[in-house]
Amino acid sequence: MTLTRRDILKMQAASVAAAAVGIASKATAQPVPGGADALQIKWSKAPCRFCGTGCGVMVGVKKGKVVATHGDVKAEVNRGLNCVKGYFLSKIMYGNDRLTRPLLRKRNGVYAKDGAFEPVSWDEAFAVMAEKCKAALAKKGPESVGMFGSGQWTIWEGYAASKFMRAGLRSNNLDPNARHCMASAAAAFMRTFGIDEPMGCYDDFEHADAFVLWGSNMAEMHPILWTRLTDRRLSHPHVRVAVLSTFTHRSSDLADLPIIFKPGTDLAILNYIAHYIISTGRVNRDFVDRHTTFMTGATDIGYGLRPEDPREKSATGAAKAGAMTPSDFESYKKFVSDYTVEKVAKLSGVEESQLKALAELYADPKKKVMSLWTMGFNQHVRGVWANHLVYNIHLLTGKIAEPGNSPFSLTGQPSACGTAREVGTFAHRLPADTVVTNPAHRKQAEEIWKLPPGLLPGKPGYHAVLQDRMLRDGKLNFYWIQVNNNLQAAPNSANETYPGYRNPENFIVVSDAYPTVTAMAADLILPTAMWVEKEGAYGNAERRTHFWHQLVDAPGEARSDLWQIMEFAKRFKTDEVWPKKILDADPAYKGKTLFDVLFRNGTVDRYPAAHLDQAYENHEAKDFGFYVQKGLFEEYAAFGRGHGHDLAPFDTYHDVRGLRWPVVNGRETRWRFREGHDPYVKKGEGIRFYGRKDGRAVILGVPYEPPAESPDKEYDLWLVTGRVLEHWHSGSMTMRVPELYRAFPGARCFMHADDARERGINQGAEIRIVSRRGSIRTRVETRGRNRMPYGVVFVPWFDASQLINKVTLDATDPISKQTDFKKCAVKIERV
Amino acid sequence: MTDLPHEHHISSAVVSVMPQFSEAVAGWLETFPDTEIHHIVPGKIVIVMEGPSAGVIGERLTQIALGDHVLSANMVYEIIDTEAEDEEGEE
Repeated sequence: MTLTRRDILKMQAASVAAAAVGIASKATAQPVPGGADALQIKWSKAPCRFCGTGCGVMVGVKKGKVVATHGDVKAEVNRGLNCVKGYFLSKIMYGNDRLTRPLLRKRNGVYAKDGAFEPVSWDEAFAVMAEKCKAALAKKGPESVGMFGSGQWTIWEGYAASKFMRAGLRSNNLDPNARHCMASAAAAFMRTFGIDEPMGCYDDFEHADAFVLWGSNMAEMHPILWTRLTDRRLSHPHVRVAVLSTFTHRSSDLADLPIIFKPGTDLAILNYIAHYIISTGRVNRDFVDRHTTFMTGATDIGYGLRPEDPREKSATGAAKAGAMTPSDFESYKKFVSDYTVEKVAKLSGVEESQLKALAELYADPKKKVMSLWTMGFNQHVRGVWANHLVYNIHLLTGKIAEPGNSPFSLTGQPSACGTAREVGTFAHRLPADTVVTNPAHRKQAEEIWKLPPGLLPGKPGYHAVLQDRMLRDGKLNFYWIQVNNNLQAAPNSANETYPGYRNPENFIVVSDAYPTVTAMAADLILPTAMWVEKEGAYGNAERRTHFWHQLVDAPGEARSDLWQIMEFAKRFKTDEVWPKKILDADPAYKGKTLFDVLFRNGTVDRYPAAHLDQAYENHEAKDFGFYVQKGLFEEYAAFGRGHGHDLAPFDTYHDVRGLRWPVVNGRETRWRFREGHDPYVKKGEGIRFYGRKDGRAVILGVPYEPPAESPDKEYDLWLVTGRVLEHWHSGSMTMRVPELYRAFPGARCFMHADDARERGINQGAEIRIVSRRGSIRTRVETRGRNRMPYGVVFVPWFDASQLINKVTLDATDPISKQTDFKKCAVKIERV
Repeated sequence: MTDLPHEHHISSAVVSVMPQFSEAVAGWLETFPDTEIHHIVPGKIVIVMEGPSAGVIGERLTQIALGDHVLSANMVYEIIDTEAEDEEGEE
């Protein structure tokens, strides 16, 4: 039999796949006729552009375009596999409506809020933008300017944005859309351990005996990690999987223990588990005595709504929502004893036998347990508490910070950890877990940034939801949005987001690759380079920092967010934006541009362009004359080195497939707080939660409290929003892949057949979903991948033509300020 | 879009399935166009798909990922064969 060229290529593809999963393959490495070089594709490594898993991909470039991607066999995260989104990476940069020139709203040749978009030069764009920014600063001061970024910013983009906003414009009104994603997780890490991000890593998947998914649908949202989990389950029959959710989804299929609970009652279930562990005598007393401390949290803390809302006015604990007071084991024991199995079964709708089986997974000292969660916990009016409560049960049993025992907070964006959290682009944060409210932390930042003392503002800025409210109220007047689609993502958007963008007092700039709904509501659109069109770095959910090179050029005049920030900084003189008192005290700063003082400070510009890898382009280095990314990274790394956040030297990351911090003496850290794994734990200490001064993690007593809005007679259904496998977040990239668009062209409302029948609605019929905030039209799905319990509907939010966030409620966790997108009341009407 | 003229995509993928349904899922996979099964072991099926673009193959794998008894379907290796185009270019 003669093998054709195609046959040989297919056999090669199959043998690589077989090898990736350990199947012995007979296929031999036969030469491809014409040689492999005949394919003429240059392959380079990069992390995937989509979720927070941080898979390594190989990116194939031919004739200046990305033509293919596939899993990187050298990447530990995904070991050669990529989820279906891997196919679409090569497509996301080449949508037909890619933005290639700045667009400004104009009438009669000049900027006008009610004008139509016209192409303009970068020079004109920046000139108008600077004029508007300076006007706001002059009229109302630094609190009137703001910026909204995301966990999709590269590390140096977020870092440059933080410097520009906090030090340049002296405003902390900088927040990432990660606020909508995992602010609750970050707050709970800080409050429990005194240091952010998981102590464990993905290696835990191969060591755990039980997995508990709290609200997470990993099968669709984190398919590669789900594959690691399912491999463990199927190859080790003793392993058990519990999936808790408010509806049945793809991840439920594998569950040994599928649990459907009423929205918000996860808090009660978690407290019941703590009670079960204590009452059955399975507390690891030695661990608890040596490594934990007990606290009680403030209660009745409100819902983060506008202060005039009756629910805020009546909340007795809202003013000090984050307060924690010392407690002890006996008080905690008494507190959780209220959460009996009978009471919690009634509240949650979960059978007692299921609750006991779940609690036993945690209580059994022989079972290593990995708890996993994403938006179910985090997008929760008590999201910080939910995170605390899962740490409570891991701490009570000592099941933490060792292989397989791992409370693990997953993330949704590729650099939610690396940029939003580690760099600190939240309204209250500085790099490496330092905060703007701490004078010593501000002083450190001023020293590393070589800025005059007293320059940095100490008041936290507006968080995401508050930014929208302040825009609407006309208090935030200059607003720059990068790498996110907030008009689609923000809650209660028709009332609280859109009016602020179109408020005549405000000037809105959106940097994006595509004309998203947010961009179209702006006054100025800046075309942005994306992913491998620039050199970048992301940090994934397991503390892994990973880099990539610029592999292709951005189209037209599109430029990276980093270039935009640095170039815009040239438009400001220190004398225009810094207080006279500070400049008089340090006259050397007078007359300089913000670009000079922030980016030509002797640190950021210390690496010449000659340090670049000559095999790759670097647009920013070419334009600014120095290796911008390296200088920014090394300056940033100074914050964390020696402080538990050590990063390796810049060049190392271009060689390796990422490293998990802290990286000390060239070695990454897989399990923090554990002697032998973590270099910060001294010999003989065993375990030390060194983020806190006392070295102890906090076990917090907090109760179940109800959601901000529950179904009633008029609005009689729960609405839960979320994602689907095909589309990533708001769909601004994936909806531009034609085949994907055809696969899942429009959002649908997943609904129980009985709920539909009672309303006289047939499968596929058009309906209106109505809340107290607004409504959208969509179609009913009573079948399909999500099977809803009676009384709960689910709508994905990827579809710009059906903005479900017109319906959602802008209630947040009062501590983290993260929105609850999982619980509000709606009614469904036939159309 | 990125699809080059004359390009032909060959892509391998691993389909993870509930082991007891490996054969049943394999039978279902055979109904997909331009999709060949190369290896079956309990719980894993290695397939090779062909098509004119990454998008077409990606959409197919998405359908597979959402099938009954399928736990996940992940791509592994992709080859873009543009031999015809290259030969033309050399002429």
